[in-house]
Amino acid sequence: MPETEVAARPASSAWQPRSPWEGHARPGRHGRAEGAPGLILQPRGRSGLALLIAAPGRDTELGNRLAAHLGWSLPEPGRTRIAGERGLIWAAPGQWLALAEAPEDLRELDTLLDGVAAVTDQSDGRAVVRVSGGRAREALAKGVTVDLHPRAFGPGRTAVTGIAHIGAQLWQRDAEPTYDIAVARSFAGSFWDWLTAASAEFGYVVEPGPRA
Amino acid sequence: MSTTTLTRLEGAGPAAAPPSALRLQPFRTVSGGLIDRCSPLPFSFDGRRYMGVQGDTLASALLANGVRLVGRSFKYHRPRGLLAAGSEEPNALVELRGGARREPNTRATVAELYAGLEAASQNRWPSLALDALGVNGLVAPVLAAGFYYKTFMWPAALWERLYEPMIRRVAGLGRAAGADDPDAYEKVHAHCDVLVVGGGPAGLSAALAAGRAGARVILVDEDFVLGGRLNAERREIDGSPAAEWLSATLAELRSLPEVRLLARTTLFGVYDHGAYGAVEREGDHLAVPPEHAPRQRLWRIAARQAVLAAGALERPHVFGGNDRPGIMLAGAVRTYLNRFGVLPGHSVAVLTSGDDGWRTVDDVAAAGGRVAAVIDTRAEAPPELRRRAEALGARVIAGGHVAGTRGRLALASVDVAGAGGRTERIACDCLAMANGWNPLVHLDSHLSARPVWSEAIHAFVPGPGHGHGPDAGMRAAGAAAGRLTLAECLETGGRAGAEAASACGFAAVAPAVPTTDPEGVAHVPLWRAPRSRGKAFVDFQNDVAASDIELAHREGFRAVELLKRYTTLGMATDQGKTSNLSGLGIMAELTGRTIPGVGTTMFRPPYTPVAIGAFAGHHRGRDFRPTRQVASHAWCVENGAVFVEAGLWRRPAYVPRPGEGDWMVSVSREVETVRARVGLCDMTTLGKIDIQGPDAAAFLDRVCANAIGTLPVGRCGYAVLLREDGLMMDDGTVARLGESRFVITVSSAHAAKVMQHLEFCRQWLWPGLDVRMASVSEQWAQYALAGPRARDTLRGIVDPDFDLADAALPVLGCAAVTVGGGIPARLFRLSFSGELAYEIAVPAGYGDAAWRALMAAGAAHGICAYGAEALSVMRIEKGYPAGAEINGQTTAGDLGLGALLAADKDYVGRLMKDRPGLADPDRPVLAGFHPVDRGARLRAGAHFFGLCATPSLAADEGSMTSVAYSPTLGHWIGLGLIRRGSARHGERVRAYDPVRGGDVVVEICPPAFVDPNGEKLHA
Repeated sequence: MPETEVAARPASSAWQPRSPWEGHARPGRHGRAEGAPGLILQPRGRSGLALLIAAPGRDTELGNRLAAHLGWSLPEPGRTRIAGERGLIWAAPGQWLALAEAPEDLRELDTLLDGVAAVTDQSDGRAVVRVSGGRAREALAKGVTVDLHPRAFGPGRTAVTGIAHIGAQLWQRDAEPTYDIAVARSFAGSFWDWLTAASAEFGYVVEPGPRA
Repeated sequence: MSTTTLTRLEGAGPAAAPPSALRLQPFRTVSGGLIDRCSPLPFSFDGRRYMGVQGDTLASALLANGVRLVGRSFKYHRPRGLLAAGSEEPNALVELRGGARREPNTRATVAELYAGLEAASQNRWPSLALDALGVNGLVAPVLAAGFYYKTFMWPAALWERLYEPMIRRVAGLGRAAGADDPDAYEKVHAHCDVLVVGGGPAGLSAALAAGRAGARVILVDEDFVLGGRLNAERREIDGSPAAEWLSATLAELRSLPEVRLLARTTLFGVYDHGAYGAVEREGDHLAVPPEHAPRQRLWRIAARQAVLAAGALERPHVFGGNDRPGIMLAGAVRTYLNRFGVLPGHSVAVLTSGDDGWRTVDDVAAAGGRVAAVIDTRAEAPPELRRRAEALGARVIAGGHVAGTRGRLALASVDVAGAGGRTERIACDCLAMANGWNPLVHLDSHLSARPVWSEAIHAFVPGPGHGHGPDAGMRAAGAAAGRLTLAECLETGGRAGAEAASACGFAAVAPAVPTTDPEGVAHVPLWRAPRSRGKAFVDFQNDVAASDIELAHREGFRAVELLKRYTTLGMATDQGKTSNLSGLGIMAELTGRTIPGVGTTMFRPPYTPVAIGAFAGHHRGRDFRPTRQVASHAWCVENGAVFVEAGLWRRPAYVPRPGEGDWMVSVSREVETVRARVGLCDMTTLGKIDIQGPDAAAFLDRVCANAIGTLPVGRCGYAVLLREDGLMMDDGTVARLGESRFVITVSSAHAAKVMQHLEFCRQWLWPGLDVRMASVSEQWAQYALAGPRARDTLRGIVDPDFDLADAALPVLGCAAVTVGGGIPARLFRLSFSGELAYEIAVPAGYGDAAWRALMAAGAAHGICAYGAEALSVMRIEKGYPAGAEINGQTTAGDLGLGALLAADKDYVGRLMKDRPGLADPDRPVLAGFHPVDRGARLRAGAHFFGLCATPSLAADEGSMTSVAYSPTLGHWIGLGLIRRGSARHGERVRAYDPVRGGDVVVEICPPAFVDPNGEKLHA
């Protein structure tokens, strides 16, 4: 059995992936009906997500290979370096999450980083929701213990934390503010219940998510 | 996050009230106060309808209507009225609202009035005015301190059956709703540089100083109007009414973007590392909270610095009959007059031990009331104050005290003993008591700081302890710091705010201190009247009188801790806010010591009671804790699966079909289908850990007790993990995906614990090994496909280029394949049922599709889905140990796994597993059990005894750990741990279960009941 996964081919139409948010997120306006919505919730599709764990003492080599082949540089602890939907997110000492549009986009990492980092595909393991809007910070404060005030946290920052008793990692994309929040897939339903309860008083719009 | 405050409606404002509303409120003044006389609010108390106005509390509205009797006391059922105007109120505990929203024990003084409020008094029967239990007052002599301890001791048997229910009925406070709370509660996390506790002149000055410097400021105040006592007194700042300073200050604070003002918010607790707890009553002043809005919010505030500006509480006087309705704190009288436009009485007497109480005289007169008398307990009354009072027609008695009070359900007159010993009766319907102020040191002492005695104000003030002081991040200001005058509040508040902001790195300066009108502070407290008639109450809420403290003194309970517990002084829901110091003062007199010599009482959170709902927030009912869904969840729901909670997971337990009325019918059908044809079970809950690196094999060899490193690529192995102490931690499977890549699966219940253990081993025991691990539990959906037709079913979804024949994928083989036309999958030939079986893992996003595809592919082979119950039945039939056997008390040897342990390597738990206790040949070990009477039912938890033995602890031989009805065998079977069990096959013992009335003779047998040689596995 080869060490890397078998190269993928396009799936037949009967095999559609299922979004972790399916059955939970209902597109449309919810919560307080008056006024502009305070939050936009956008369930994210099945993008590429892989955990990179550097081999002991190989951080620099890991950074060099990523820079040479993908033009990425390793973010400092608590930071992200994301352009569009691709880039790196610090995840733990010596660990980073690689982000790409599709899981297939990260398949080459296994070979590329052979010997300098362990790569594990987490594309299906995390459920990611994008939270933005003028009241996003207030709603998130109902579960996030991290200080998200612009003086303390901003675009390019990430935190590994717990939200409503669910392990979560969040990162801020822009100053609007827009946050991406990743939780373990099996918790998606409970997380969605909390997120929508926290957002209801401000009124929120759920954007139609991709099918997966 | 409401910060609304009412705008002050000064005297000549648009306050021409509708005559009807006012006529109904005989004690309402015609003008003044922070109320809107044009907005009448109907409400009811004990079923009677009244009218209040916007800006009222329930207490002020009741007073405006002349309702003075508001409750019965806890122990003696004495008639009680309002003592205070704030959250320290001990008497006026009421039930609010009705139905599911009914809430007991709210102080009427903090219940903000709204249209339609329903309130009821408590602790009376049948009614407030005619309380049958008022006779308790007649037997008061036997109800003194220690009454319970002395009376209900004998016979002990009567305690539960008679005494406790009786005491609960008599002494009960309000009634809980007894139904689910229909409102929502939530928790919020907030962060700031400077937290200001209290929205009075000191707190506002502090917030202003810190806010102007640019610090992030949160100011909380329990009141619904900010301003503290500025709203209750007629004061001047910079030559103008204080209200002008207040509104200008609030306007500036609101204009500062980093300042957040939280009214209706009680800071109830101070915790380590700058954490503070507060509760915001966002919807309590509404009949029903608006849709989507919570009733209350629990704030967890992380603050770098805090300013304690919580103010001070006034102390009552202790004299006979001091609890008669109409006897109030002088500051409360002024609050009702100045803030609520309510005269607490038409004829007011003032009892004071300092200059401060004399303020009441002018205020009563200004509001149109009559001042009957001023009794100053000091030998000399200040001449200027005396002249002014006498000019208003008041009788002034210096060096006097109140020796008794009269009136049936409310005050009618007081007997005043003068300096010469002569007693005179003064008619009055309100007595205002002023006996000095206690700084609110509660929050300061939450972190164990001991308050210190101040001779200057005769009260405890925050001391230089752990919770207080700049190092700990909290500094006190204003009245809370013992700086009682308005000028001091403004000055110390501004300075504390500036210091706090500076400590956070902001360039802050204290605001210029405005001038104030002069105020007298001279004060000589009187802890109790020298001679008086009737019970003199110290703690109104717990009915503790001065005589109880004398009793405690006589009986030797003189230390403050003993005094408190013996008399229950300060142990009511108000934590003795108005009583603690009087109690100490009296004990000091009795023992001839100073008050600080007697001691002080510390305070614990919460400052005022907090509803449990606020602590629960979002997490109740369905959201009590998060739940995890398996990959096939949607299919299971669509097909009517019955779920079981397994940790946080919701696992399908079984999937009943129409007509199956009983769970065992469904489970047996699922087992039979797997054994005869094929079944599919969701194993996504298994913990899956990806282990990579050149030293991965060496690492696994050290954490597993059996040989792993020699496992060839493409093969799986059983893995035994021991704890450091030699007991079993878990078992699982290891698959070698590559030379330096493994995936290990462990029990669902142990997934997090094993991951933590492995990380500990990697990071701490052997940091030199080049091995990296990641949880992939959530990445892969994993299903068990088991039964004779498993391979045929699998063929339907695995892409055709992969060979599934036994030779290509034998038992314990593993392979990377693709399914559904190119989707990567992992295939493991593993069986937990003893059947030909596979576990197939697909990326979790395809979990739903893979499940449906397998069910479709298996339809022709008679497939059924099976759940955790059938899974468990089949593993018991095969004698495989699981969680009930790997229970933290068993060794690998106990469970028959001893032969697997490697002799030629070191591993975690190797030495400790051989310690004498664990190597004892007499230990209970795993065995199978079947009932001798095949029709008998077995129960897990039954204990084993010899057939002739009398059940006793000494004769206990072990216990049944798992049982199942085996449809394959047609009778109940069990696994259990019994002494020397593996050597006793064929022997009969009793399975004795007195808890459920079970007593069954069972035969000990090998644990594998079905296909013991594993022939089906290799099909």
